[in-house]
Amino acid sequence: MIDLLQTLGSGVLVGLVYALLGLCIVIIFKASEAFNFAIGEFLIIGSFLFYILFFNETIPWQKALPLGLLMFVFFSFVLVYDKNLRLRMALPLGLTAGALTFFIFYSGLKLPSLINSPILRFVVALPLGLLAAGVVGAVVERLTIKPLLGRSPISMTIVTLGLAFFLRACAQLIWGSHSYSFFLDLPDITLEMGTFLFLSDPIWAGILSLLTFGLVIFFLFRTRWGLAIRATSEDQAKAMAFGINARFVLLMVWAISALCIAIAGIMISNFGALSVGMGFVGLRAIPVVLIGGMDSIGGALIGGILVGICEALAGTYIEPLGLVGFKEVAPYLLLLIVLFIRPYGLFGTVRIERV
Amino acid sequence: MKRRTIFITFVILVFVFGGPSSTAAKEIKVLSQFPMSGPVGSLPEFGWGYIDGMNWVNGEGGGVNGKKITWYLEDFRYNPTVEVANFNKYTAEHRKDEFLMATGYITGGLKPLIEKVNVEEKIPWLDGSYSTEIFGEDGGPSKYPYYYSLGATYGNQIKVLMKWIKENHKAEGKPRVGFVYSPTAWGKDGTPEGIAYAKQLGFDVVAEIEYPYTATTATNECMQLRKVKAQYVVYHGYSGAGAYTAIFFKTAKKILKGVQLMGTHYTTGRFPILVAQEAFDGYVGVATRPFNDAVPRSKTTMDNAFVKFAHDFAKKYRPAEYEKGLKAGGIKDMFLYEEGLTYALMIQKALTEADNKYELTREGVKKALDNMVWDFKGMFDGKAFAYKSHTIPMLRMFKAHVKMVKMGDKMVPTGGLTPIGDWINTDEIQW
Repeated sequence: MIDLLQTLGSGVLVGLVYALLGLCIVIIFKASEAFNFAIGEFLIIGSFLFYILFFNETIPWQKALPLGLLMFVFFSFVLVYDKNLRLRMALPLGLTAGALTFFIFYSGLKLPSLINSPILRFVVALPLGLLAAGVVGAVVERLTIKPLLGRSPISMTIVTLGLAFFLRACAQLIWGSHSYSFFLDLPDITLEMGTFLFLSDPIWAGILSLLTFGLVIFFLFRTRWGLAIRATSEDQAKAMAFGINARFVLLMVWAISALCIAIAGIMISNFGALSVGMGFVGLRAIPVVLIGGMDSIGGALIGGILVGICEALAGTYIEPLGLVGFKEVAPYLLLLIVLFIRPYGLFGTVRIERV
Repeated sequence: MKRRTIFITFVILVFVFGGPSSTAAKEIKVLSQFPMSGPVGSLPEFGWGYIDGMNWVNGEGGGVNGKKITWYLEDFRYNPTVEVANFNKYTAEHRKDEFLMATGYITGGLKPLIEKVNVEEKIPWLDGSYSTEIFGEDGGPSKYPYYYSLGATYGNQIKVLMKWIKENHKAEGKPRVGFVYSPTAWGKDGTPEGIAYAKQLGFDVVAEIEYPYTATTATNECMQLRKVKAQYVVYHGYSGAGAYTAIFFKTAKKILKGVQLMGTHYTTGRFPILVAQEAFDGYVGVATRPFNDAVPRSKTTMDNAFVKFAHDFAKKYRPAEYEKGLKAGGIKDMFLYEEGLTYALMIQKALTEADNKYELTREGVKKALDNMVWDFKGMFDGKAFAYKSHTIPMLRMFKAHVKMVKMGDKMVPTGGLTPIGDWINTDEIQW
């Protein structure tokens, strides 16, 4: 019994991180009906952005300069075209963003020397890292997704496939392919009672994922911008007719999605190390959203937990019987079963199309 | 008349000096392939060590009794298909009497090339694979006469670990050993031999766990090992540089308190110190080479002649990369650089001996390798090895010491791997 509880508990904790990954897919799908296959690459980039702030990692000026220039162009462009700012206002703001990016990448924020306490440093670095990850999401949306607005969602989905290769190559160029040690040193909240043991890092991962999940739901259902996102996801044309800036809404959705993926990435990196090769973790979101339902936020939560539990049960009870490697396959078997019974996932909207 | 004489003279000169001639000197050609990119990461150090090594061989090293080697280097991206395709391309493009040796780096490439290398081409092939299937008792020189490995088999590596447990087990009762291995040809190789030997020694083999490269946690695996009360855990078939290694060691350190974590060659190195940090402290592993790169690099002990040679070599030929170390564009782990250099030196040694005693042909090189007895420039602290088993049969046990120290505003790991025994020749050991 203790074994089962232990297994279920471990599964739920990891499942919450998967649920967060699923949420990131769902909100983009709801807003644009596109599936983001570049989720793993957003995870890598988001985690690295946090890493450079938290551990004060720097990169050579040759690599920092193009990133600074990109930020300058992007911010100036968005401020002029989306926010209708005058050029003389937008350019200095864009220049500030570009210079700040260059400075942070090149010389770092030096947080470790300013803040001794790891928890305090985490509290400061996390929002900054997430903000940076959100900006990356927005940049990507502006450059690759926005030009496809109004076209088939399939086009956007295919673009995300290409984007995955491109972003991975960029990350590899900037940070190389080797692993970076990743120790957050958060307060130890390990739960141990006899043979019952839950390690601190997975507990922190579960808590932070759940908290982020809650914040996103709050944002979507209790704020005006959330309402705008939901309206756009219901019907883009009608939302625009009511004065909602659908282009900006989509940009915001991508930014929020990138930000949430970064949290999942940071938590997963803290289990081991950070490397460009860990992008495959993003693929865990596929069974999560297909089980829960592609357009269901609650479904992502349930799907994530189910996938986490399924992996844990397979690892504890089935693999020792000789079926080694079954843990990797188990979520997909569960997915097949669910799809046989409910083709739109457990909580997905059943679509009836007139032919 | 005069014009005709000039024309005929010109044509004769062209034929004598510029045209294809049967009297042209025969070239000595070798092909080497390393996984410098791909899923294991970006490892240009292999290539740097090899390039510097071959340039040195052709220059200061004196070539093959003064003759230069025409060498080719390919990055097969850790993809056996690419490794095989490259070899096929070179065998099609180059003459058998010139293309005398080839090298590869993974078991996945060796297997599809068995027929091509050992039956069709009959070309000596050096490899970084420590495959028990290819180089162990069921394979070896009688079955694969042209394959040579640059290290003892994984089976022998795990057996040496078991022997160490037998000699050092202090707790009451039989040692309880768990095996964690990767679901790859590499991870599965050697594990059955190790398990069989553990049982032969009377150990309790309490767990056999496949832990994939794609793992996000190792909690289940470690809880399973805890449940069966494993006292020793052998971690095999993984790159020390992988994030999965950090996940396993970080989790194991917390869940498997008091358990001795052990491993084979590719985990017994510098990278786990960097990625797993203190979680790697106390690890006991076996390696086919001397430990060569402490953290920080300046703390590396230079007692071993080959290690000193390699560091001096890198400082001379790659000063910037050596200095950069872990920074972008640097030599992250001297093992990788040394490995490239090792191949270059082995190629020179085999070709020179063939030129001296036998003949500069594929068969001559094979004879030279089969009869080679060498101390590899002091690599094994004065001990020489014979290549009769087609593996360099030398192994040594090491223990990791890792400590975190404050450097500037960062806590960084420092430490290395210290030998905890003498070099073992697995061809001579009494199992």
